[in-house]
Amino acid sequence: MKNGKFVAAVLIPAFGFLAFFAFYPVVYGLGISFFDFNPANSHNDFIGLENYARLMHDPLFWKSVGNTLFFCLVAVSANIVITLTLAEIICHIPKKWMRTLFRTILFIPCVAPIVGTSIIWKYGIIATDGGLINNILGMLFGIPPTNWTLTEMPMMLIIILYTLWADIGYNVILFTAGLESVPKELEEAARVDGAGALRRFFSVRIPLIRRSFVFVAIMTMADYFQMFAQFNVLVADGGRNYAAMVLTNLIYRTSFKSFDMGYAAAISMALFVIVMTVAIIQDRVMKADWSYE
Amino acid sequence: MKKTNKKMRPSVVFSIAFMSLLSAVMMYPMVWMVLTSFKSNADIHLHKAQFLPTEWTIEGYLTVFEKAPIGHWFLNSVLTTGLTTLAVIVTSTLVGFVFAKYRFRFKQPLFYAIIATMMVPPQVTMIPRYLIIQDIHLFNTIWALIVPGLVSAFSVYLARQFIEDIPDSLCEAARLDGAGPLRIYWHVILPNIKPAIGAIGIFTAMMHWNDYLNPLLMLNDKTKMTLPLGLVIFDNGHTTDLAATMAAAALVMVPMVVVFVLFQKQFIKGMTLSGMK
Repeated sequence: MKNGKFVAAVLIPAFGFLAFFAFYPVVYGLGISFFDFNPANSHNDFIGLENYARLMHDPLFWKSVGNTLFFCLVAVSANIVITLTLAEIICHIPKKWMRTLFRTILFIPCVAPIVGTSIIWKYGIIATDGGLINNILGMLFGIPPTNWTLTEMPMMLIIILYTLWADIGYNVILFTAGLESVPKELEEAARVDGAGALRRFFSVRIPLIRRSFVFVAIMTMADYFQMFAQFNVLVADGGRNYAAMVLTNLIYRTSFKSFDMGYAAAISMALFVIVMTVAIIQDRVMKADWSYE
Repeated sequence: MKKTNKKMRPSVVFSIAFMSLLSAVMMYPMVWMVLTSFKSNADIHLHKAQFLPTEWTIEGYLTVFEKAPIGHWFLNSVLTTGLTTLAVIVTSTLVGFVFAKYRFRFKQPLFYAIIATMMVPPQVTMIPRYLIIQDIHLFNTIWALIVPGLVSAFSVYLARQFIEDIPDSLCEAARLDGAGPLRIYWHVILPNIKPAIGAIGIFTAMMHWNDYLNPLLMLNDKTKMTLPLGLVIFDNGHTTDLAATMAAAALVMVPMVVVFVLFQKQFIKGMTLSGMK
């Protein structure tokens, strides 16, 4: 259909809005990154690329880059492996009401706000005194209680564990829906040809849900780069020796705790470049289909 | 047939047993929160490893209602979530309709421009967005949370995908009957994409109800806060009152969980629809 007036009446306000709240902030942020910017100052000095030069020599920045990549790679890979396995296990259950029940239970943490569940973990799971981890370790191995927030790698792994707990329900639902849509005849044919359960899973079912697999992998990765609330609640200052400082939290602290907004804006741009690079690599590797159909 | 049935049984039993165990583990933190919220602080300190309250009490809840403006937080959350969700449903279906059914110049690059905004993590733009909200005098009002969310790129993408599946002939027929674009939108498009509207509504509502970053940046006054931010502020102020903190957490979380359990069919349908598209 054609109707120039209607198209314009819808798109001009929509794009005006996106221009102001989506495109302009990126340009604005890039602009700020060239200044020694503090909103409380009446005058902010233009310092060119100095913030970026500082970035290159800032060990905390590089540590945060490493932590962010570590968190994303480990958590996303674990998420995909676990959710695919769970989806396959759920699909084995013949009763529909049971499948629905299990999916519902796995999804409950996903509907709660991350800050809320992080606070539960802070007191109920991680706490030195009476936290579940210490209770279990004490009961099984007689290990004295550990203050996990004072550890480096273990704390990071606990945050990954928390993130998986809080987030797997979503992908389990997507994968079970995908696996349930695989035609039974194909499975049957593979079975007749002598393919075992594992072989059928990897050679028949996974290739057939490629589309949702790619979607899930890309969305999860994009999502995990943005994780902030659990770090802000559990390791607000980045943890011991900044072992759990990620870029999102570093940006927040640099801009809203130290009010060093010019420098924080430069870190934001770095995060942007990293996210884009990873998205492009993923896109190439998985040949995602975002095409305009 | 009988033979395969018998062969399948051990794997089915294993699946059910495994999933039951996992479900218990997954539910543990939530159950712990609810049980702790009904304990007294003395009870928590004296019986550290005990799961159930020695004596059930609503002290924690009373403390929350006494010390925190939780009514304000609830109202603010309802207002921001409700208004944004309504607006996003309208804007995304309208823009999606235009991209799915109309021909115009620069259609493809314009659509890619919308998709591109999805790729920018909100943390990348948090400083400029904070400054913009200051400049347009929305700082420390709930409008700071509502206005920037009125158009959502992801929802536009989703709406367009669904509207494209509606046969062109339906729109064409309505147009030949003399219906204008808004009538086609109302009578042809909207009734045919109800599941998509549900999915968009659920996604948007969940995102805004649970959002923490934006309220953290944009709100200062205790009475202006939404539930998730209020909960963190409350936790920081009452670190020794675990029963009250868990009561607050339960008050923040239980409504969303109840809504989910009641409407879980629609939730799951919405999730899979958007994921499979």
